[in-house]
Amino acid sequence: MPDPLNARLKLLVVETLRLEDVAPEDIPDDEPLIGGGLSIDSVDALELVVKLEREFGLKIASSEESRRALASISSLAAYVRERGDPARLAS
Amino acid sequence: MADPGNRVRIAATDCLTPFGDAAATLAALLRGERALKRVPVLGREGGDLVPLALIEGRALDESEPPEWLSPLSRLARSIPGEGWGSARRPIFVTGSNFGVGALYAYRRSLAAVTQGTASAAGLEPPKEDFLKWGDPGACVARLAREFGWGSQVTVFSHACVSAHLGLLQATRALEAGLADEALVFTFDFLSPFVAGGFHALKILNGEWPAPYENRPTGAIGLGDGAAYAVLGKGKGDLCLAAQNLHNEMYHVTGNRPDGSGFAACLEPIVAAAKGRRVWMKGHGTGTLEAGRLEAGALAQAFGEAPLVGWKGSLGHTLGSCGVVELSLAAQAIRVGRTPGTVGSRAPALAGAVAFDAFDNRSFDAVVCASNAFGGSHAAFLLAHA
Repeated sequence: MPDPLNARLKLLVVETLRLEDVAPEDIPDDEPLIGGGLSIDSVDALELVVKLEREFGLKIASSEESRRALASISSLAAYVRERGDPARLAS
Repeated sequence: MADPGNRVRIAATDCLTPFGDAAATLAALLRGERALKRVPVLGREGGDLVPLALIEGRALDESEPPEWLSPLSRLARSIPGEGWGSARRPIFVTGSNFGVGALYAYRRSLAAVTQGTASAAGLEPPKEDFLKWGDPGACVARLAREFGWGSQVTVFSHACVSAHLGLLQATRALEAGLADEALVFTFDFLSPFVAGGFHALKILNGEWPAPYENRPTGAIGLGDGAAYAVLGKGKGDLCLAAQNLHNEMYHVTGNRPDGSGFAACLEPIVAAAKGRRVWMKGHGTGTLEAGRLEAGALAQAFGEAPLVGWKGSLGHTLGSCGVVELSLAAQAIRVGRTPGTVGSRAPALAGAVAFDAFDNRSFDAVVCASNAFGGSHAAFLLAHA
């Protein structure tokens, strides 16, 4: 069974970036988000960071930190679990 | 787009930073002082504290008339000569954020009134006057009237190589015999809109910038800046021995990972510098990836020539940085001392970064480089005439 947070993050990526030809379940857990098959670039990353900060009540401190967090869905889920507001994580 | 430009001299140049004019700014840099201070990123609306260098007495928030108008007028009135903006003495005005702060201030006050929070937020009702500064043409037309300039004023805005573009266009006008002298006038004053944008990118993140320093996290600062350069053929002890602009056409916010865009821009500068001993003033904002690529490309092109960057003190003055730092490099040549890379320490990302000030009297010229969003690179060689 897919990890619920991973599934939520995949949906967030698809909706935030309006990826018309990508279904959330098509995004692998461990492949690079930036520079990978989704063609996500640094401008997309900016949109994702803003959305993540609002959605999970977290604060990403630097561009290096955002790059590490956005390395893959799995790394993003780990980051959100560690830094996110627990109340928003549960929703 | 190379231009020999070797007959064009710098007849006069000066700048305005939080430290004052070029002489005062250079003296402060030589003392290793930092103009940056931690300021709320959204001005009176607060937010994270980020390093900004604002000219004295100016708040980050936009005002009407702008608080920067008075010091900018003083700088404009200090430009030597008369008849600026006439057919033979054209002006090239450059900057990267003309009017955007005014538009944001108008929009912000409008939203606050609509939401009924204007007085609570300390905001005044929306002022149509803000809109008079709200686009480059209107902004520069008002400044031209204020400064008594004629109609031969051309506006260039090309992100953080704007000032370099003005220098090259002024050089071309002179080389083509279309002008007797040309004035490049440049300015960029910060606003919550601009600071907020860099903050959203997470590169204006509260840490002090440390250009070219090899450390885990990159950071930039931003600064107010204005400057001018009078270019002509007869007067001046320094010349623009070579200039180049290059766009690598790769990505709006990223560079080719192999650094080839930086290297391509430097090619004509390398050719013009052959046989000369140079030092280098790089762009050096404090981001890690661009800093590594830039320092690497400069080292590849100029070997062990010492590299300095001054944005660790002054912040990145955006579209004005090319001429702000030209005026400081010219001042450094005249006093014989080059400030080090203020705010940074070893180890360096790449190259022969000079962290401390050094005596430059044994050098023949300085390479000045800038880079910009959109894949743009610019450089020139400033040498004794």
